[in-house]
Amino acid sequence: MIPYKYIFKKSIAFLVVLYGAITLNFLLPRLLPGNPAEIVYLAIIKQGGGSINPIYVHQLESEYGISNAPMYSQYFQYLIDLLHGNLGVSIAFFPDPVSSILAGALPWTLYLVITSIVISFFIGNRLGRYAGINRNTFKDLFVDLFSMFMASFPAFVLAFIMLDIFSVDSGIFPLGGAYSSSVNIGFNLPFIISAVYHSFLPILTIILTSIGGWVLGMRNNIIPNVNSDFITFSQNLGLKKEQINRIAYRNAILPNLTGFSMSIGLSVSGVIIEESIFSYPGVGLYMITAIGSLDYPLLQGIFLMVIISVLVGNLIVDILYGFFDPRIKQEGE
Amino acid sequence: MNHDLFKNSTVNGVSFKFNKIIKPLKILLTNNKAKVGFIILAGMIIFGVLGQFFAPYNPNRYEFVRSMPPSYSHLLGTTVYGQDVFSQLFYGAAPTLLVGFSVGIIGTFISIFVGISAGFASERINNIVTGIINIFLIIPGVLLIMLFGSYFLGIHQSLGYLPTILILVITGWAFGARTFRSITLSIAKRDFILSSMLIGESRLGIIFRQIIRAIFPVIISNFFFTAMYGTMGLTFVEYLGVGNLLQVNWGTMLYWAINNEAYLTGLWWWILPPSFMISILMFSFILLNFGMDEIGNPSLRRFNSKKNKKGDLNEHPEN
Repeated sequence: MIPYKYIFKKSIAFLVVLYGAITLNFLLPRLLPGNPAEIVYLAIIKQGGGSINPIYVHQLESEYGISNAPMYSQYFQYLIDLLHGNLGVSIAFFPDPVSSILAGALPWTLYLVITSIVISFFIGNRLGRYAGINRNTFKDLFVDLFSMFMASFPAFVLAFIMLDIFSVDSGIFPLGGAYSSSVNIGFNLPFIISAVYHSFLPILTIILTSIGGWVLGMRNNIIPNVNSDFITFSQNLGLKKEQINRIAYRNAILPNLTGFSMSIGLSVSGVIIEESIFSYPGVGLYMITAIGSLDYPLLQGIFLMVIISVLVGNLIVDILYGFFDPRIKQEGE
Repeated sequence: MNHDLFKNSTVNGVSFKFNKIIKPLKILLTNNKAKVGFIILAGMIIFGVLGQFFAPYNPNRYEFVRSMPPSYSHLLGTTVYGQDVFSQLFYGAAPTLLVGFSVGIIGTFISIFVGISAGFASERINNIVTGIINIFLIIPGVLLIMLFGSYFLGIHQSLGYLPTILILVITGWAFGARTFRSITLSIAKRDFILSSMLIGESRLGIIFRQIIRAIFPVIISNFFFTAMYGTMGLTFVEYLGVGNLLQVNWGTMLYWAINNEAYLTGLWWWILPPSFMISILMFSFILLNFGMDEIGNPSLRRFNSKKNKKGDLNEHPEN
């Protein structure tokens, strides 16, 4: 019952987009106005106290094309460096290579994104179902207005308000960080509790700002289903109301599942912004520093790694979708 | 729904054109959500236009007593730099709205063009364009904004309004294109398109006379969605600090308030008004977006069924 053909198609699409993203990352600094390479070059010379390590010069050449080598050989050099996990050296955190910074930051970002998107999807769909089933009642209006209001609030403003109320004023939640310094990192209970406690506020904020789309989407999906003939038929069969609602819900959730893979990108955008506000040590925090100090190697590393993560996330969701949607299952067999 | 409302009873050409402009507005007012959203948005536009002429002080002047709470002479107090908050709010409304609307209009045009041509083209082109749409959907917009913005900063330039609009269009058109593509695909299979083809109508004729007309509510709904994205995107650009921070708009107001920690130092009159105004603006866009969805999708309507549904879209936009 595995839709091989569908998975194959999705994997090919994944590889094509991945290649496109990698190439875009190569082309952007060469196509945009100004010469980022020069800035990076000067910054590194300044950091190195006048002298420059030949390794960095080599990296700059491969990343920014300041060498005189033809474009295609630069491109191959770039691809080879990438395969070795070599993303250059950060300017803001000078001797640290970008790859090691990302290795420390990316897991926290992924944790925030995955947790918040799953909870938001689940609660949002249930709320949307509640509104859609009770449509044109006071309950529906209340849920709709709540969702619209949450969706209309700029995410970072909400984050600041939450931070002010729950961390600064009352001190219920910590001001920043991903875990307290007193616990040992690893798979032990105090560490997990500390990590959950530190991430509670960021995750809550992301859920609050992203839930509206799911609620309203689900509501608008389920209403045509509630009105459709197969529901009338089920009613005539004498099924219970709860059973009928479940049938309508299962039918309505498919479009939202396609929306799920699309929403990963939006979610990551939100998380990146929230992290910088909650001083959460994910890529968002590094990104703000990188913009401030024009740390292009770090920025590009973040760009590449986040896009790769989003693409992998998309692929996983798409493949799972193949198992949920019976139409695709049949087609693939 | 009163269909007589839209019937064109005039004979001469001039009033016919007038009717064409008025018709979408009348459609808007048949739905409660859209009506409320429209009233708020109209109020915002009036606020923005008036703000260009009647702001009590020059929004860029730094000459007042600093961090003053609201008073009669300064309705919303002053900033830590000694600017009048109300003047900034009043004056900054128009640029904020203009960015939102520009992104909405340009983005919608691109998504109509891409979406409809993909939905109406051969299978292979459809697949390629769908792939491109998906790439743009997948890439997180904030990343592109920060990358472009930092390159601009590198050459000592900040993103003015034009580059901002450009970036937001690039990152925001794909949502609509996806919707238009799947709707066009479902419409292109209908009988009335087939009969037009058999009569010998050209492809362009079918697209403009049949398809665009049929999906008009969706276009309007998508415009409000993209405009919402544009306004929200402007606040993101400014928040990241890659925009031109000397411009006065609600995004830069938030940037300065947040960077001076107005929420910690108790200057609520600095941070709350722009947040509130942006939220209200977003709220009106969302109301209009969903109102238009309900107009375009009769099964969502409050009083429906039993009436004829001919020519209406009751397909799911997903495919």
